[in-house]
Amino acid sequence: MRWGMAIELKRCVGCCECVLACKAEHFLPPDIFWNRVLIGEKGKYPTVTKLIYTVRCNQCADPACVKVCPTGATQQREDGIVWVDEDKCVGCRYCMVACPYQMRSMYEDGNKEYFPGQGLTEHEKMGRILYPHQLGVVQKCIFCKERIDAGLAQELKPGVDREATPACVINCPTKAIHFGDLDDPYSEINRIIKEKKGHQFHLEYGTDPSMYYID
Amino acid sequence: MIQAKPYDFMVKYTQQKEWIDGRGNFIAFAFFLGGISGGLYLASSYFESLLGQFVALILSLLMGVSYMIHLSKPLRFWRMFMKPGTSWIARGFIFIMLFIGFTFIQLILSQWASDATTAIMTFTVLAGIFAFAQSIYTGFAVSYVSAIKIWNSAILPILFVVCGITGGLAILLAIMMGGSHAQLVALENVIRVMLIVFAIIVGVYLWNTTYSSITAKDSVSRLIRGSLAPLFWIGVFLFGILIPIAISVSTYFAGEAATGLLITAVASEIIGGLALRFAILKAGVYSPLLPAE
Repeated sequence: MRWGMAIELKRCVGCCECVLACKAEHFLPPDIFWNRVLIGEKGKYPTVTKLIYTVRCNQCADPACVKVCPTGATQQREDGIVWVDEDKCVGCRYCMVACPYQMRSMYEDGNKEYFPGQGLTEHEKMGRILYPHQLGVVQKCIFCKERIDAGLAQELKPGVDREATPACVINCPTKAIHFGDLDDPYSEINRIIKEKKGHQFHLEYGTDPSMYYID
Repeated sequence: MIQAKPYDFMVKYTQQKEWIDGRGNFIAFAFFLGGISGGLYLASSYFESLLGQFVALILSLLMGVSYMIHLSKPLRFWRMFMKPGTSWIARGFIFIMLFIGFTFIQLILSQWASDATTAIMTFTVLAGIFAFAQSIYTGFAVSYVSAIKIWNSAILPILFVVCGITGGLAILLAIMMGGSHAQLVALENVIRVMLIVFAIIVGVYLWNTTYSSITAKDSVSRLIRGSLAPLFWIGVFLFGILIPIAISVSTYFAGEAATGLLITAVASEIIGGLALRFAILKAGVYSPLLPAE
């Protein structure tokens, strides 16, 4: 089993709902983004193309970050999900340097508020209890592994059942993000990748990302 | 041309910041100290300078301190021994600890039990092995990062070792000043050779890197004629290569060098070594995330 995502770029409207869903799901502090939306333009008038990419940790099958981590804080599960054990991270930043996709960030300033000078919102206060993030450790997307685990425990199918699927996927209003098992040749995600010719970023690094993009 | 804001890193070549900004400066210091500490120990062992070996130990301890400052969670430093199988930082941490341990024992034996020649020789050899390991691992830690093309070169560990040994020899020269004239001449001869080797390796490294990839070429451009040019030409080329070689050549023909001139050469070589680490770390750039046109 290897979880992966396929993103249909033509469907993405750049609403950033995936970013907000991720922030809410994991109570992420203001400066921390586990996923982002890139909006840009390519070409010159009159042949300008608008580009919208939603990006996050590529959950590589052969991740550079796991290899370089000196403490074993960055780990890979059997289902391919790469995550950081915050209790083990020493903050050496080797994983941040080694990630070819620059998808990791360091949580450094615990005093930042979403509404500066107005104190923490109820949501932030609740987050510090329910989903505390340690200062000085590395942060990254974990494919909502807690949702997947809870869903599988209830015999739900990630990518099909909402409760077992990552927050960014189920909150996308245009259904641009697909989630599923890349190892299952009959899975919906594999069908989409095959039919619509999904591609990965920077194959030259040899990390075999689990994120596919469909032009 | 793709344009995007605020995430330029996805469409442009972007400099790595984690190992050079803020706390990241201390990893550059640690790599520098590790290099010259290892080089100094090897040089001191060859020239039998107990003081040189002691200074190498101090420099290695300072490297450890620099490492600790670099870490966001320094109290968890012991966890850095956990994954030597794949992580060069973990391997390096073990090398540093073993080097410090063996050097400490060797220095105690040399100072207070000088009759135990076999034991002293054994610990000197062991410490020498880990001095070399401590010096070269910094290069491997950097060159292992395939995401940054200018770093991902087999020449880099060799460059870091040669730079470390040259810096170590320079410090030993300062330590041995006023000592035996014959030893000083021998040391100066070794330094002359190492400086030329260092200059050649810097040149080969940069030349080789320019055609390894477009990203690496961008990095070299930053070093040679871009924003990092002052650091490279003044720090690495002038202080690290030109001034020491000029002094070295002049002393070769003059026969005997003035103390002030030698001190200038030593200081210049140390500045050059430090500038080299900073220049290479600062020149590290990532390829844009999005594919080109």
